[in-house]
Amino acid sequence: MVRGKLLPAAALGLLLLGLIVFPLVVTLPYPQHVMILIFLYAMMGLAWNIIGGYAGQVSLGDATYFGIGAYTTVILLRDLGLSPWVGMAVGAVNAVIVSVILGYPCFRVRGHYFAIATIALNEIVATIFTNWEYVGGAVGIYVPILPESFVNLQFHRSKTPYYYIALGMLIGVVLLNVWVGRSRLGYYFRAIRADQDAARSLGIDITRYKLIAYAMTAALTSLGGSFYSMYVLYIDPTSVFAFSISLLVVLVAVLGGVGTVAGPVIGSIILISLSEGTRVLLGGTGRALDVAIYGLLVMAISVLQPYGIVAWIRGLRRPPKTREVKVAGPAA
Amino acid sequence: MPDPLLEVERLSKRFGGLLANQEVTFSVYPGEIVGLIGPNGAGKTTLFNCITGFYRPEGGRVRFEGVDITGWPPDRVCRAGIARTFQVVRVFRGLTAFENVMVGALLRNPNPARAAGVTRHILGLAGLSAYADELVDGLPIALKKRVELARSLATGPKLLLLDEVMAGLNPKERQEAVELVRRIRAELGITVVMVEHVMEVVMPLSDRVIVLDFGVKIAEGRPEEVINNPEVIKAYLGERYAARFGRLGGV
Repeated sequence: MVRGKLLPAAALGLLLLGLIVFPLVVTLPYPQHVMILIFLYAMMGLAWNIIGGYAGQVSLGDATYFGIGAYTTVILLRDLGLSPWVGMAVGAVNAVIVSVILGYPCFRVRGHYFAIATIALNEIVATIFTNWEYVGGAVGIYVPILPESFVNLQFHRSKTPYYYIALGMLIGVVLLNVWVGRSRLGYYFRAIRADQDAARSLGIDITRYKLIAYAMTAALTSLGGSFYSMYVLYIDPTSVFAFSISLLVVLVAVLGGVGTVAGPVIGSIILISLSEGTRVLLGGTGRALDVAIYGLLVMAISVLQPYGIVAWIRGLRRPPKTREVKVAGPAA
Repeated sequence: MPDPLLEVERLSKRFGGLLANQEVTFSVYPGEIVGLIGPNGAGKTTLFNCITGFYRPEGGRVRFEGVDITGWPPDRVCRAGIARTFQVVRVFRGLTAFENVMVGALLRNPNPARAAGVTRHILGLAGLSAYADELVDGLPIALKKRVELARSLATGPKLLLLDEVMAGLNPKERQEAVELVRRIRAELGITVVMVEHVMEVVMPLSDRVIVLDFGVKIAEGRPEEVINNPEVIKAYLGERYAARFGRLGGV
């Protein structure tokens, strides 16, 4: 292996080791909780990254799928006694179905209809669930408490198992993003983002590939929702279909760096730390000062680094590609 | 005469009151290089857009290898074996030259490793190997056009439609592009139809020339026939050019 690749690989290995050891060293629930949130939002930022980052179609309603995952899991557990892991799989299937129903008409036309439609869908689904007695309406559902076990995805004495599950899910989504980036899918998604007509002229069925990207985003986001429901053990429409979730997911990806794998992870670390940090330091004032400071910090990062943190890091490591290009003739 | 590769039959396209293509009929035979010329606004690019599915013609048929492809969407037309470039260059910005060509190569080679092999081959053929890892955003126009050509070549077409690949190039770059088009036919056996303004390029390169004026085909034939057609001279070339070209005896 080249030395240039050995160093990042070693750093990545150390980071992973650190993350595995972390809950053994830091056994307090709150730091573990913050880490779990970071993993969860990094995972959902990476999910958004597929439709929004690679394929360049801005979705502003990912909470729809977060909620679908959460509700599917909880209801299958409550009414049929199915393991949350089964609920997770069924939730992902449900999310895919809904994403195709929404995506198909939107992707056949140009313009910003998709972004608007995703917000509308988010609101529609939230309203339906708020008024639907069977799923608990506005009151929501308390998840039936089961004995602690991996199969039940419930742990009552410690957050550490949740920590490892969230970390495992994040690693899975990271690997999926890396694979997508290198596969035909990734090339096609980026071609669609760059120029849809040129993409079509190269044989790419753009409606189909946008649907694939959106379905992947929906499925992965619903996994986050399923996990969340078992972690918090209570869901209601305002907590799982919240537009603020949709926004935070986009912020995490955009702030970190769209279309990169490291971006959403870095974005999640920064945003969740900022949000939790300001809340801990200033949350007790009763004047929502923490939220205001958090907003200001997000604005500052956006203005200073509009292309995301990853672009900024790369800019420091390597000179921008502006070297003079000379025109040479075709190879003899 | 072998069966035609492409048959365009009485093709018409209208934009409001403007008839951009009016009952245009012509055929292209395997292995040919056909020049499509005409003054600005003659309907050359419109014709390309109708053939490749970007526009839906109001009347007429397009057949490729005997199959009626009229109204097929652009991606399906490409998969059938027709690739194109755009008049205004449309490279994938934010991607390197290599990645641009990869997008084309992945059509017939879903495996990225195999597509990368095809990409390297095509980049070499197009003289782009030295720029493989450059972002296309920073490349000069001549190279951007070559990336676009390489990208469409990578889809493995039987027919290549080139829309003004020579425009905006200096004489040396033009000569290189001419060489490339010749090699595309000679080495890859691809049939070429090229829209071109630069007469010095299109005349010696084409086996046959089709002339459009105000959406109507006004002439078709070997370059030396077309160049002396009075109607063509009047519509497009200008008498001065005909005299000069005749004297040079280029064809």
